[in-house]
Amino acid sequence: MSTLKQAQTQSRYDDLFARLKQEKRHALIPFTLLGWPTPQRCLESVDAFVAGGASALELGLAFSDPVADGPLIQQAGRTVLEAGFDVDQTLGLLKQIRQKYPHIPISLLVYYNLVLVRGIDRFCRDITEAGADGLLIADLPVEGIAEIKPALDQHGLQLTSIISTRTSAERLPKIAAQSGGFLYAVSRLGITGVEERYDQSLGHLLAQARQCSDLPVCVGFGISKREHVETMIRLGADGVIVGSAVMAKIQELGPEDSIEPIQRYLQTLSTPIIP
Amino acid sequence: MQSLGFFGSFGGVYVPELLVPALEEVESAFLEASQDADFLKEYHHLLKHYAGRPTPLYEAKNLSKRYGARIFLKREDLLHGGAHKTNNAIGQALLAKRMGKTRIIAETGAGQHGVATAMAGALLGIPTEIYMGAVDMERQQPNVFRMKLLGATVHAVEVGSKTLKDAINEAMRDWVSNLQDTYYLLGTAAGPHPYPTLVRFFQQIIGEEAHQQILEQAGRLPDQVVACVGGGSNAIGIFQGFRNSSVQLVGVEPAGLGLETEHHGAVLAKGTPGCLHGMKSLALQDKDGQVRETYSISAGLDYPLVGPEHAHLQNTGEAVYASATDAEALAAFHTLAETEGILPALESCHALAYAQTLAVQGTPEQIILINLSGRGDKDLHQVMAQQEGAPHVHA
Ligand SMILES: Cc1ncc(COP(=O)(O)O)c(C=O)c1O
Repeated sequence: MSTLKQAQTQSRYDDLFARLKQEKRHALIPFTLLGWPTPQRCLESVDAFVAGGASALELGLAFSDPVADGPLIQQAGRTVLEAGFDVDQTLGLLKQIRQKYPHIPISLLVYYNLVLVRGIDRFCRDITEAGADGLLIADLPVEGIAEIKPALDQHGLQLTSIISTRTSAERLPKIAAQSGGFLYAVSRLGITGVEERYDQSLGHLLAQARQCSDLPVCVGFGISKREHVETMIRLGADGVIVGSAVMAKIQELGPEDSIEPIQRYLQTLSTPIIP
Repeated sequence: MQSLGFFGSFGGVYVPELLVPALEEVESAFLEASQDADFLKEYHHLLKHYAGRPTPLYEAKNLSKRYGARIFLKREDLLHGGAHKTNNAIGQALLAKRMGKTRIIAETGAGQHGVATAMAGALLGIPTEIYMGAVDMERQQPNVFRMKLLGATVHAVEVGSKTLKDAINEAMRDWVSNLQDTYYLLGTAAGPHPYPTLVRFFQQIIGEEAHQQILEQAGRLPDQVVACVGGGSNAIGIFQGFRNSSVQLVGVEPAGLGLETEHHGAVLAKGTPGCLHGMKSLALQDKDGQVRETYSISAGLDYPLVGPEHAHLQNTGEAVYASATDAEALAAFHTLAETEGILPALESCHALAYAQTLAVQGTPEQIILINLSGRGDKDLHQVMAQQEGAPHVHA
């Protein structure tokens, strides 16, 4: 059962990146927080993501102390928690998304305390049952992965890991060896947000990652425009993750507005980049 | 990392990947510095001639009579800056300088650590920026003013509960964005490795002195050593001088309005295992792991986690942990003021208050050594407000 599950989930990311490669396209992975700004609007956002050409989804669980995140995601998390939206309800929402979109790879972004307090095994089982293919734990560096690896493997979950231009040449292969789905290269040091700046050595990082791993590499942090996407693809990325920028767009919309502008915005980022 | 800094199942390095290289750098600089005679000489020189060490150990005879035991106070309140925080701030600022960092950041709750860091920054000529929750800024205004006078920039943290926990979050966010030139000077024996070990190292001077002083003055070790616990730096510092002995180590947490209410900060009593601010420890949190807001009359103890070594010492039984309420701490404040002419920090009052409980259970010959971690000037506003609200009851 678990090996079957593993085969299925692995194939969502593997299929995706194989297909994108054939079509000479890049991956576009939008991010939002589950339950934000409201559960209903969150479902609509996901519809807009998919209609706008999202290749996979990165969905966050709200946390009281998101140390890796900028003001927008912090505030969004607070909104979700103040509405009383808990982890069980979050997983319910994930289940609805999975039922509607059976083929799209979905990874959850979480802070480690949420995993620990629910219990590592129970957490992994519950998110797998709700439809996640993998997760990214914002505050669990490679030093801690051994704690959760057995549970990840048992439930066939893939772990996306962060790499940066400060990641040493010794750490990079260790991180890659523990990861699945794709590697998440941050464009710059710092926290999430739409600040437009990237490390000059990003191209070098992508090349290094390519050397020590077969995993696709997607770049995130500060991506908000078509030209950023073009730059990242030119530097050798397989795709981009767009978080704060798309959430800022969602925030601009009023509660009664149609979510269509989000779809159109994503389309500008997802159309193929002609080499 | 050369070590992951575990104390039993607590501690570790649970931070975003981006921070790991920075922690590796701090760890290796610390390991080198702590073996370097020149570094230690400079540290001890400054502690003696700038900060005023050794601090006295004072036998409080009037208080002893009142409590019914021999009470000794380790007078960290007489240290330059008004609290034990100066030991750590000087040590780490020297480390920052050694590492070639040109900017120091720190978080502060009561403002004492912010003041100590601002002092150390001014002394060593390193620009210093302090993150402080807006709520804490409101209740600790004199310390905010002090930090500014000492040349530090104070950033008001307006997110979350606007207290110490959020100030730490903001300092970590700043650090991750400015790793090249910035040193994060953490204020307590908590956070990711190497901080719990490093802060203990710079605070163990309290215990070393107290050990020697009590032997000189009383001719024997005390029965108990009592210290308040916020993150746990003053407690771990004094405990360090009495480990592996017959001395009972007692940490005292803030029970706020009572452990039976939601309004306290008694993490060791009421917390559950969790992971935040880079460490596995105990935390006050809900069923999902969302971290709760805490409450204490003393801003310096208002923190929903605790240093990992304390969680471990509680597990092994090497130390015991108790708590004192706001009302008990306030009563102890007045008692010490009236009996000894000393105005203690409200943080330290928690240790004083619990020492009375211990005294009542023991004999008049019993020796209780209390770490008086700071002076109460910063809390006068708070104490005045309490007196206006409710008439003060003589203990
Ligand atoms: C005087 C004093 N004592 C104690 C504390 C609590 O910190 P720790 O538990 O790290 O000693 C503080 C913190 O601000 C303080 O100012």
